[in-house]
Amino acid sequence: MKKRIVSAIMAGTMVASLAACSPSPEAPATSAETKAAGETKAAAETQAAAETQATEAASEDANTLTVYAWDKNFNIPALKAAEADYQKNVNPDFKLNIVEQSQSSDVENAVTLAGSAGDYSTLPDIVLFQDHYFKKYVTDFPEAWASFEGADINWDDFGAEKLSYSTIDGVHYGMPVDNGTVIFAYRTDLLEQAGYTIDDMKGISWDEWIEIGKKVYDTTGKYLLSMDGDGNDLPYMMLQAEGVSQFKDGDINLSENETFKKIIDVIVRGAKENVIYLANDWSDYTDQTIVGDMVAGVMNGNWIIPTIEQVGDNSGKWEITSMPTLEGNGKEGFASNGGSSLYITSNCQNLELAQDFLGKTFGAGSTETYDAALKNGGVITCSAKAGQSAVYNEGIEYFNNTPVYAEIVKMSANVPVVEQSDYHYPTRTQVAAAIQNIINGADADASIKDAEDQVRFAMQG
Amino acid sequence: MNTNSKETSVLAKQHRAGWFFLLPATILIFVLNFYPMFQAFIISLKKGSPAALQWTTPIFNNYTRMLQDKLFIRSVGNTFLYLLIQVPIMLVLAILLAQLLNNKDLKFRGLFRTMVFLPCATSLVSYALIFKSLFATQGLINSVLVNLGIFKENFNFLGTPWSAKMVIIIALIWRWTGYNMVFYLAGLQNIEYSVYEAAKIDGANGWETFWGITVPLLRPVIVMTFIMSINGTLQLFDESMNLTGGGPANSTITMSHYIYNNSFGQGVGNFGYSSALSFIVFIMVAVLAFINLKVGDKRD
Repeated sequence: MKKRIVSAIMAGTMVASLAACSPSPEAPATSAETKAAGETKAAAETQAAAETQATEAASEDANTLTVYAWDKNFNIPALKAAEADYQKNVNPDFKLNIVEQSQSSDVENAVTLAGSAGDYSTLPDIVLFQDHYFKKYVTDFPEAWASFEGADINWDDFGAEKLSYSTIDGVHYGMPVDNGTVIFAYRTDLLEQAGYTIDDMKGISWDEWIEIGKKVYDTTGKYLLSMDGDGNDLPYMMLQAEGVSQFKDGDINLSENETFKKIIDVIVRGAKENVIYLANDWSDYTDQTIVGDMVAGVMNGNWIIPTIEQVGDNSGKWEITSMPTLEGNGKEGFASNGGSSLYITSNCQNLELAQDFLGKTFGAGSTETYDAALKNGGVITCSAKAGQSAVYNEGIEYFNNTPVYAEIVKMSANVPVVEQSDYHYPTRTQVAAAIQNIINGADADASIKDAEDQVRFAMQG
Repeated sequence: MNTNSKETSVLAKQHRAGWFFLLPATILIFVLNFYPMFQAFIISLKKGSPAALQWTTPIFNNYTRMLQDKLFIRSVGNTFLYLLIQVPIMLVLAILLAQLLNNKDLKFRGLFRTMVFLPCATSLVSYALIFKSLFATQGLINSVLVNLGIFKENFNFLGTPWSAKMVIIIALIWRWTGYNMVFYLAGLQNIEYSVYEAAKIDGANGWETFWGITVPLLRPVIVMTFIMSINGTLQLFDESMNLTGGGPANSTITMSHYIYNNSFGQGVGNFGYSSALSFIVFIMVAVLAFINLKVGDKRD
């Protein structure tokens, strides 16, 4: 009897472990040994990484700050510029310890892990964080953050829209670094072939824009715009240019949102008429459509500029302007997409130093910081003061010697503030799916309602 | 009497030794497997921020909620579509290939076996990415089909719902057929050749031999491959994630991919709901494996 129970338990154990733990990719039997060896190695590596991380987390030294950032070609040069600036002008003993992460989600996961474990001591002093995610992380982990309360910073210098992401109940949590202002870049040579100039694209309506796009496609075979069809940012950007949000009082607002429906209609028509090309995914969007020279126009946050510039042959042929709007008649569209800010964590042992460092570099519109950030990393500021420097007003050869950076800073002041939500990215996914379904023949209203239901469902979680 | 008690004490010693040897593995399984499973179940009854999870009201809310989740139901549908189409095709192909490569007179047998098995040696992510570039709108498959005149213009395989599903199924078949074939080969080699000879003398043809001898004697192996394939397909993640990204319009998303999206993918951090979803997947796998064992096991 006893034996039977034991054997039943053992059998149950085996079945359960077979069902529960075997991962979907079963390792081929022959490579089991090598796999096991690899696993031990990986485990040793993670352990080593954990150890180094423990020593790197929040600095104890009175003159050192530790920061997480993720792009060595973009925001890390900006941080280095700020460090040099602060060393030179304020504190020569200051040291900024920049810990490079492989991608932005590494920082998000670090906060999620620390929060789930209830132990924030693993966090560094400062983290770079994506703007769209920040509010959700304050809601979820209110104890992870320290604010800028009490610091002497002239916030009016920054665009209001940028600050709206990092300000919660009037308290500033984030120090803006970059600028997500949307640019619409056009290939002036292709526009010319179709009989247009860059000035014809300014202040027009989306309907007029589609007509121009059709002519451009007929004469040059290029699409006037492309976007990642799966992570489709067009609805958000176009809606923001109208001053409208996909959210209302914290709830999703799509099916009763006439402006939203008109925007979706423009995108669907554009896609059907060969004016807008919706790529399968992000790498398709950047590598095939932009670098692969399929398009005569690019509309996205200005961080897309380095991607455009990868096609060396097209130097001098691009110029930028504002977005079209539904209304047109001279009304220009301004929006913002993406971007990140620096946030001080609750684990920072030297809050005053952190506030002072950020306040006197990024927060003071310091020319030394921002000029070097632009030159070394292509980081464009949303500080109005920094945008007036000589470096910002230089003509850029790739963009036909126009001073695009100064123009972007000017445009950033016009971006309307719209309601943001923790559910920005789930909404983007659902709306992208709705657009694809409508293009494939589904009913527009039903698809939009469906997307709305899905997001509302996620919100109720 | 004396000898008797000695015997029992030897036996008891042996038992103790047995338990002692089992202990490390048992403890590890409990700590690393059952404890997390138990915790996952507790989390599946909660909701809210990962830093401050709260019990749901009613307590099984996360489970009842699922029934209204269109996207989850769609992901279940997708997963079962892969299961119903891909697993039978793959296993039939695997058994045919095994039969072919078990032929004693075949030259370069070892080479062919290695070639069929080789796809399993590729990493899941890299093979998914290679399939993605093969089937891209400007990819190799399109170039070949257009140049042969079969297609008039490049077809967006990964951007069209039905063809994206098809690409995933083709990729799965390519990746896993050789893996299952190896099991069948091993099984076939355990069947005595004399059984086939006897069948030949009795005048059975190839078809009759296959159904009358090979399949019944391979049954335990077939049941095992079925269970493993069902389990693997229900937990399918890499292909959905890397090959199609779940798109277009969520038409290829799998259950595991949806669970990932709910916990890490889109910054939602809804661990309670995703734990509940994981438990449902676990139950599905357990039920299917149980049915399979019952149907496949003809011993009593």
